[in-house]
Amino acid sequence: MQPRDLNAEIKQLQKEIRILARKLERSETDRARLEITNRNKESLLKRVIGELQTSQVILEKKGADLEQAFNELSLMQTKLVEVETMAALGSLVAGVAHEISTPVGTSITLASTLMDETQLLLAGLKSGQLRRSLLNNYIEIAQESASLILSNLNRAGALVQSFKQVAVDQSSLEKRTFRVKPYLEEVMISLSPQFKQTLHTIAVKGDDAIEIDSYPGALAQIATNLVTNSLLHAYLPNEQGILWFEVIQQNEYILIQYSDDGMGIPENILSKVFEPFFTTAREKGGTGLGLHIAYNLVTQKLQGRMDLESEVGKGTQFNIRLPQSIHV
Amino acid sequence: MFKIAIGHSNDPDSNEAVEEILEQCLNSLVGATPQAGLLFSALNFDHSWILQRINEVFPGLELIGGTTDGELSSVLEFQQDSLTLILFCSDNIEIRAAVGRNVSQNPTAIAQQTAEAAKRQLSYPPKFCITIPESLTTSTVAILQGLMLGLENIPIFGGATADQWQYQQTYQFYKTEVLSDAVPLLLFSGQILFSHGIAGGWYPIGKQRLITKVDQNIIYEIDGKPALDFYHYYLNDSDPDAVYPLAVFPPQEENFFLRGALGYDSAIGSITVSGDVPEHSVVQITDASLEDIVIASQVAFTDALKNYPGQDPQVALFFSCAWRRQILGTRANEEYQAIARCWKRPITSCGFYTYGEIAPLRENGQTFFHNTTFVALLIGNQ
Ligand SMILES: Nc1ncnc2c1ncn2[C@@H]1O[C@H](COP(=O)(O)OP(=O)(O)OP(=O)(O)O)[C@@H](O)[C@H]1O
Ligand SMILES: [Mg+2]
Repeated sequence: MQPRDLNAEIKQLQKEIRILARKLERSETDRARLEITNRNKESLLKRVIGELQTSQVILEKKGADLEQAFNELSLMQTKLVEVETMAALGSLVAGVAHEISTPVGTSITLASTLMDETQLLLAGLKSGQLRRSLLNNYIEIAQESASLILSNLNRAGALVQSFKQVAVDQSSLEKRTFRVKPYLEEVMISLSPQFKQTLHTIAVKGDDAIEIDSYPGALAQIATNLVTNSLLHAYLPNEQGILWFEVIQQNEYILIQYSDDGMGIPENILSKVFEPFFTTAREKGGTGLGLHIAYNLVTQKLQGRMDLESEVGKGTQFNIRLPQSIHV
Repeated sequence: MFKIAIGHSNDPDSNEAVEEILEQCLNSLVGATPQAGLLFSALNFDHSWILQRINEVFPGLELIGGTTDGELSSVLEFQQDSLTLILFCSDNIEIRAAVGRNVSQNPTAIAQQTAEAAKRQLSYPPKFCITIPESLTTSTVAILQGLMLGLENIPIFGGATADQWQYQQTYQFYKTEVLSDAVPLLLFSGQILFSHGIAGGWYPIGKQRLITKVDQNIIYEIDGKPALDFYHYYLNDSDPDAVYPLAVFPPQEENFFLRGALGYDSAIGSITVSGDVPEHSVVQITDASLEDIVIASQVAFTDALKNYPGQDPQVALFFSCAWRRQILGTRANEEYQAIARCWKRPITSCGFYTYGEIAPLRENGQTFFHNTTFVALLIGNQ
C-alpha cells in the first residue's frame, strides 16, 4: 500500500471512531430519556385503563337504567292503548244509548196510545154501546201502532245487536274470521250519532264477501279514530264532506283505504301525525293519541302497515294493508 | 434555472464536518454560485467557526439556520449530532435573509420590522417565508404574529430552534453570526413554486376535563384542582412530560390542538405549556404510537405532493417535532424512510427536529404555530 493511501485510511478510521464515540455518548442520554418516556407511558396507560373501567361500570348502569325506562315506557304505551280503548267504548255506549232511546221512546208513545184506545174500546163494550165505526177505528189504530212498534223495536234490536258486536269486540281480544265491509258498516252505524249534527255522508265500498281472520275490535278502534279525525280536523262547520272506506283484496292482503275530501294535512306536519301527543287541536280536547294508537294497532296487533297521503285543499287518504290472516 | 446542493456530515469534529459539507456542496454545484442557504446543526459544534468557513467559500451567502434536536437530509437521512447545509442557486428566484435580534424585548414588533426590512430588499413581491426562530426566551406565537403583520398573509414555514432536550439555550444563525433570542428568516420571490402538508399523529385518550383557570399559556387549574395534579395523576407523580401533550378542545370545538408542558411551578401547581390555551377549554391527555407518527408524516408528505402546482418539486424541506423523535426513539430514521418511499424518484431533502413547527393548517390558510407536528414543504422552479 502507498503511504498516501494509508494516510487516507487512517483519517477515515479516525473519523469513524469519532462518530462512534459520539453516538455511544448520545445513546446513553437517549436511553435515559426513552426510559422516562416509557415509564410515563406505562403509568399513563394504567390510569386510562382505570378510567375506562370506571366509565364502563357507569355506562353499564346507565344502560340498565335506560332499559328499565324503556320497559316502563312500553308498559305505559300498552296502558295508554287500553285507556283509549275504554274511552272510545264509553263514548260508544253513550252514542248507542242515544240512538236506541228514539225507537224505544216512539214505541212507548205508540204503546200508550194503543193502551188508551183499548181502554176506550173496553169501556164501550161494557156499556153495550159499541158502535161499528168505533170498532173499525180501533182496529185501524191498533194495526198501525202495532206495526210501528214492531219496526221501532226491530231498529232498537238491530242497534243493540250491532252495539253488542262492537262492544264485545272492543273489549275482548278475540280473533275471529269476519267479513270486512259489513263489519265496517256496523261500526259506522255505531258512529251515526256523531254524524247526526253534520252534513257529511259516509260510505263503505268494496266486495261484501271479503273476509279476514283478525281482531275485529282493533279494526273498529282504528276506523273510529280515523272517522273521528275527519269530523274533528278536516272540515269547517257546515261543510259537506264525503268520507268513505274502500275494501280491496290484494293476494293474501286486505287493503282498507279510508279517505276524506277535507282540507288535508300541511306537508310540514305530515310526518308528525303518527307521533304520540302530536295534535293541532289541543284546545278542542285533542290528546294527539288517536293516530298513534291506530298506527300501533295496525302495525303490532294486526301485523299490517299503515301510511297516509294528503294534499292541502283536496283531502287525506290513509292506506292500511292487513294480512288476511294473522299468525299468533 | 434552480439548483439545489446539500451537504451533511456526522463527524463530531467541527472542522472536519464543515469541510465535508462544503466539499459535498461544491461537488454538486459544479461552478454555480449559491444565493442562499439553510444550516441545521447539533448543539455540540463550534458554530461560529462553521459559519465563518461557509462565508469564506461562499461570500455574501444569504444564510440562516439554527440548533436542532436532530437533522435529516437525503445524504445521511436521520442523524443526531450532525451538521447539514442546503444551498439554493437560481437566476430567476430571489432570496433574501434578515434577522431580528433580542426579540424577547418586543417579539411582535421586532418580528414585524424584520419581515418588513427583508421585504424591502426584494425586487418582486415575496411568495413565502422560512423562519428558524428562538423557542425558549419568548412566545413563538407572538413572533409569528409579528411576521404575519409584516408579510401580509403570505405563508410562513419553519421550525423553532432546539437544544437536545436541555431547555437551556438554543441558537440561531444569520450569515456569520451565532445568536440567541433572535428571529432569522428567508424570503423567497420570483419564479418559485411550492406546496406543503402537515400532520400530527397524537390522539386524546382518557377522561375529558375542564380548564377552570388559565392565563394565556399558564394553566392554573383543571377541574378546579391544581393543574400539576393532572400530570401527577397520569404519570405516577412524575413531572409533566412534553411527549404526552394536552389535547385542547376550545369551547364548542370538535377539533383539538396540542400543547406540551414546558415547565411547571410546584408551589402553586401551575404548568406552562407551549402555546396559549383558551378559557373553558376541555383537555385530555394524549398518546402517540410509533405507527401513528410514521403514518401521519406520510400523509403530510403525500398531501404536499398532491397540492404541488407544477410538474415535480425539486426539493423537500422537513420540519418535524422533537417530541416525535422522542416517541420514535431508536427508530427515528423510519419516519424519513417512510416519506422517501412515498415518492417514485429519490427525493432531495433537508430538515430538522424542532421545538415547534410553523405552517398554515391548509393551503392558502393562515399560518399557525404547532407542536408534535410534521411539516413537509416542497419547492421547485416555475
Ligand atoms: N283527516 C284529517 N284531516 C286533517 N288533519 C288531520 C286528519 N287526521 C289527523 N289530522 C291531524 O293529525 C293530528 C293528529 O291526529 P291524532 O288523531 O293523533 O290526534 P288528535 O285527533 O289531535 O287528538 P286525539 O285523537 O288524541 O283526540 C291532528 O291534530 C290533526 O292535525
Ligand atoms: Mg284524533
